[in-house]
Amino acid sequence: MQPCKIGVYVCQCGTNIAKVVDCEDVVAFAATLPHVVLSKTYKYMCSNPGQDMIVQDIQSHGLDRVVVAACSPRMHERTFRNALQVAGLNPYFFEMANIREHCSWVHEDHVAATEKAKALVRGAVFRVARHEALERKTVDMCPEVLVLGGGVSGLTAALDIAEAGYRVRLVERQGALGGNLARIDLTAPYLNAARDLLTERITRVTENERIDVLLHSRLVNLEGFIGNYRATVETRDADNPPRKTEFLVGNVIVATGYQEFDAGRITHYGYGKLPNVVTSFEFEQMLRQGRVQMDDGRLPRFVSIVHCVGSRSQEFHGYCSRVCCMTALKYAHEVRSAIPGCRVSDIYIDMHAFGKGHEDFYRRSSEVKTLFLMYRKGDRPVIRKAQPSDGCDMLIEVNEQLSGETIEIPSDLVVLMVGMEARSDAHEVARLVNISQDKEGWFIESHPKLDPVATTTDGIYIAGTCAAPKDIPDTVAQARASAARILAKVARGKIEVDAVYAEVDEARCSGCRICNDLCPYSAIEFDLEKKVSRVISAVCKACGACGSACPSGAIKARHFTDAQIFAQIEGVLR
Amino acid sequence: MSEKKKLQIALYWGAACGGCDVAVLDTDAFILDVAALADIRLWPIAVDGKYADVEALADGELDAAFFNGAVRNSENEHIARLLRQKSKVLVAFGSCAHLGGIPGLANFVTRDDIFRTAYLDNPSIEPGNRTVPVPSTPVNGHVLEIPKFYQRVYALDAVVPVDYYLPGCPPAPNQVKAAILAIATGNLPPRGSVVGASDRAVCEDCKREKSEKKISRFYRPWEIIQDPTKCLLEQGIVCLGPATRSGCGVRCPDTGQGCRGCYGPLPGVVDQGAKVVSSLASVIDSRDPEEIERILDAIPDFTAIAYRFGLPASLLQRRIRA
Repeated sequence: MQPCKIGVYVCQCGTNIAKVVDCEDVVAFAATLPHVVLSKTYKYMCSNPGQDMIVQDIQSHGLDRVVVAACSPRMHERTFRNALQVAGLNPYFFEMANIREHCSWVHEDHVAATEKAKALVRGAVFRVARHEALERKTVDMCPEVLVLGGGVSGLTAALDIAEAGYRVRLVERQGALGGNLARIDLTAPYLNAARDLLTERITRVTENERIDVLLHSRLVNLEGFIGNYRATVETRDADNPPRKTEFLVGNVIVATGYQEFDAGRITHYGYGKLPNVVTSFEFEQMLRQGRVQMDDGRLPRFVSIVHCVGSRSQEFHGYCSRVCCMTALKYAHEVRSAIPGCRVSDIYIDMHAFGKGHEDFYRRSSEVKTLFLMYRKGDRPVIRKAQPSDGCDMLIEVNEQLSGETIEIPSDLVVLMVGMEARSDAHEVARLVNISQDKEGWFIESHPKLDPVATTTDGIYIAGTCAAPKDIPDTVAQARASAARILAKVARGKIEVDAVYAEVDEARCSGCRICNDLCPYSAIEFDLEKKVSRVISAVCKACGACGSACPSGAIKARHFTDAQIFAQIEGVLR
Repeated sequence: MSEKKKLQIALYWGAACGGCDVAVLDTDAFILDVAALADIRLWPIAVDGKYADVEALADGELDAAFFNGAVRNSENEHIARLLRQKSKVLVAFGSCAHLGGIPGLANFVTRDDIFRTAYLDNPSIEPGNRTVPVPSTPVNGHVLEIPKFYQRVYALDAVVPVDYYLPGCPPAPNQVKAAILAIATGNLPPRGSVVGASDRAVCEDCKREKSEKKISRFYRPWEIIQDPTKCLLEQGIVCLGPATRSGCGVRCPDTGQGCRGCYGPLPGVVDQGAKVVSSLASVIDSRDPEEIERILDAIPDFTAIAYRFGLPASLLQRRIRA
């Protein structure tokens, strides 16, 4: 360990830290630690004056290591690393001690909390003394983009990228573009035809010479890392033998969409047994063909719409599918205009009308004499065949919540509002592009609020309903957001890769291959000639899995070396 | 050659099995060269030297002392300190002196547990004759003293500073030879080095073919017909090769036995046993916690296997530096 000059800054975070931790006491303590030449406290270290203080001290006191005891590094590590860089110091000569989330926010005993803050500061001081200067690398960015899925999301993203001047490969499993939206008649709440929305997109996509549309195709392999992915796509159409296409892309947008819930899983709705119980998608088909009718061709006199089929239930999917409520209201409108005099019952749990124009649409629907019946979550209505004397095809028994009564609804046609669910092949896509799925199977975003279209794998973006149920405006917004994110990166030509990654010391690697299959990002390759493993630094996300598994200590996790971690532990425990 | 220029050496066994001394003899005819090259001032197994003779030596009079065995009792410690004082170079010879070795496994239990098993509860002990040894016993007006049995077993460097470590249970004869010659010629590496071993793991020298590892079941060596060309670990046989310094000549894996780890951790590794546990746990081919447990349960006494030679010198025993 080189002799060094450490500066320690204790942030009060307004009163967030100072009301529990005695910051002056921590400062005095820090001054006694080895190599610490300066220690200070300030109200807001992350503020401009706080950062300036660090920059000036580095320059006037010759500090070469900095510890800030403040909030979580997830909050402000980047801020202070930048301050070091501004002062001309390598940004990795910095360590944060989290005395807010890990201390002042979770403790009430001031004396004990102050002692803990001191221990955390000592750990950070011991650690930072062993930090090494790390350099960030840059790699070239291939401007071409792979878009998986030819629904409204994929089409929109492809157009934005192609119109900015870059080539797009648009891969669609089916024989036609359009995705699930192509199965829809009108859209809520403004009753625009889905066909119109799509035709415009599809025409522009097929006419754009920068977009290669690969129908009947799927991604079968993806190797490499951001800016440098090699994709293999397999095309299987009926007329030709399967063929594979390989190409380079810099980024991938996953817009693979959703599948509808299988209504047959709820047995007492009689779907598949009662001929006039249909799903919302089958009903859309009727609407598109302009023939809302029963299986024997008669016009229904009573149409019932059942909400939350597969959604908001403990046995199936706990989440709300977001689009069904408005679609159900749309059906009420469409049935009334197709069959004047037809009585529509809308059987729901809660009416979710959160989108722009949705509440207004709900109000207008209530005014056109649709009968709204509320059932309780978990107490589903029961659909059964009616007797000839009932004067209708089926009866729906509902324990109606607002009246508190059990009501039988006559029905000739029942529409089940089937929810959205993750596609059954989503795990294959997730594996191919190296992204994660949540417990429901939806792809997981990098940050649910602040980074909704990026994933934990650099260069892989998700858009639309493959990430969670959403309506068309949200889907399009995500598609355009992912296109914009990619265009911003492509515009810079090169990308900077974080300097924190795992590294194999080839002189120490025995080629045991324990690490080869562990990397969740496929960043480890094995050199068959030299018989050593190697980490592709641009792909590595510094999770540490290989470093902790490496039985011979040949893999070093940069910035998380054993020496640094042990020093920190020693500092905290001493 | 004048008498004065002869190398002055001592060999000692602490808590050991005697195998290290046999390893010295295993250098075959070379041992005669050693006899010609050196005056052996102490070697309890082979030479008639007394502790008093060593105590009478001037400080640093010995050129080298080879200490095998762990430090388990007051006698071991006394000789360790004595040899340190009298010798220019002190070598921790073999796994026990290096890391605590097999005797070090006793650190999983207490001295009382050991005494209870050995002297009280053992079925072979005659009833009415259950005697536990104590350091001093009055007999006919005299006091009989035996070495004090410590609570714990120590590696040599926990008691005295060590200059070189020659690992192995026992060290391979060619490495013993090389170490003695290095001392004779004064061609010594920096103090504190591990000598007679590689900086890479056993796999480096193992000829078996290695591929990506996914273990769905562990076997004892007798439970399966081995593929002699394939990595033992990939066949489900626990092998500590990936976590162990090479230098032994791959003796165990070459005969179809998993490496037992006697050459100790690789440079920079603080805890060999922890590395064994975390590397094996990383290649279990399951994501179901119960299944993983079932798979690992097939390894009998996993902790003792992982720490077979290194418990006293491990993080588990509060050692924090490699």
